[in-house]
Amino acid sequence: MIEFKNVNKWFDKLHVLNDINLKIPKGEVLVICGPSGSGKSTLIRCINRLEKIQQGQIIVNDIPVHDKSTNLTKLRAEIGFVFQQFHLYPHMTVLQNVMLAPVNVKKLAKAKAEKIALEKLEQVGLTEKSAAYPAQLSGGQQQRVAIARGLVMSPEIMLFDEPTSALDPEMIGEVLDVMVNLVSEGMTMCVVTHEMGFAKKVADRVLFMDEGKIVEIGNPTDFFDNPQTDRAAEFISKILTH
Amino acid sequence: MISFYFGRLMEIFPFFLKGLWMTSKIAFISLVTCTLIGFILGIFRSSDSTILKRLVGVYVAFVRGTPFVVQIFIVFFILPEWGIQLEAFTAALLAMAIMGSAFICEIVAGGINSIPKGQWEAATSSGLNGIQKLRLVIIPQAMKVILPPLVGQYVLLIKDTSVVSVIGIMELTRVGWVTVVRIPEGLMVFTLVGFLYFIISYPLILLSNYLEKRMAA
Repeated sequence: MIEFKNVNKWFDKLHVLNDINLKIPKGEVLVICGPSGSGKSTLIRCINRLEKIQQGQIIVNDIPVHDKSTNLTKLRAEIGFVFQQFHLYPHMTVLQNVMLAPVNVKKLAKAKAEKIALEKLEQVGLTEKSAAYPAQLSGGQQQRVAIARGLVMSPEIMLFDEPTSALDPEMIGEVLDVMVNLVSEGMTMCVVTHEMGFAKKVADRVLFMDEGKIVEIGNPTDFFDNPQTDRAAEFISKILTH
Repeated sequence: MISFYFGRLMEIFPFFLKGLWMTSKIAFISLVTCTLIGFILGIFRSSDSTILKRLVGVYVAFVRGTPFVVQIFIVFFILPEWGIQLEAFTAALLAMAIMGSAFICEIVAGGINSIPKGQWEAATSSGLNGIQKLRLVIIPQAMKVILPPLVGQYVLLIKDTSVVSVIGIMELTRVGWVTVVRIPEGLMVFTLVGFLYFIISYPLILLSNYLEKRMAA
């Protein structure tokens, strides 16, 4: 479903993605972790081409993402993206936020788009907030709206870039619950997170990155209980004891 | 004595109204064209394209770095040397459009650049195309930043129409000049001219102040 082939990317001289090879099959939940600056956010941002790559290829559903001829609109409709800072549109209500893409990208009729948007808001438990503006919501609620906005195009893949890192601790649970529900629906997910509880519970594989390289990748039990590299062991001990 | 001049002034008041009408006409047409061109240039200036950015940058720098009266002379006296003959009225509108759009471009670009990158990324991830991103997500938010200085710029542009009197257009300031030749009471004539400018500018000044307060809230 998602494949990285010898992907390299530089920010000026900084080698942020160093020869990445990775296959993510349909339905997999991949948790990506690593120290800050290790390239984990960049890795998933390349999947829907928020970032360009300089070498190699990324293929999503047989489509080469970084080819010039690729229809990005169609590709991006199949990939939902959730940001650390939510990035809801502050001048629109919750419902308008969620309806924007179906109306303008899929060109659905307003009534139909509204129906789908309300379904997605129900899925994240926020139907009653549909008329509110983002500023009136808590961080956890905003992030759930952002997830609904990602889901509304019925994507096959959902990418999460540290979805709980900007939240107060008591709100992390509600967002993770929504994500766990997505897992049970069989969604293909790449999640950059340090929520190790989430990783242990639902991840099929955990990927550990450092300095732009994939250092380790494996199932969560092996990764947490028996890391193969000193770098991963050190990282795990730090985040579990902090 | 005063009443004598005042009587004379009343006699030629219709002449002033004609000037006011011409000033309003130039002001209105230029505000519309300056806004349209200014928004397009502002969007170019804040775009990712280095070439567009630089081109518009050079244009803006040239316009901001030269006096408006010189720009009018270039349009009115120098373009004809290259075979582009313009009527005074058209030349005035063209010069206003060139000058005003450069200033509005900077205001618009500033507004667009004030919108956090995350808004672009969210809209991009949803599959919106470039124009949709601007129209639906970026510009509506940027208007908050753009509107108060834009209205302020309108006031400046309205007052700058007085400069087109140098190429002989019978707008308000020119009417003042011509009248002073006939009535030696210059103070009264130019007080009236100033008052008529004030009548059109002041509502916009109030609007700009109001918007500034409202948009800050």
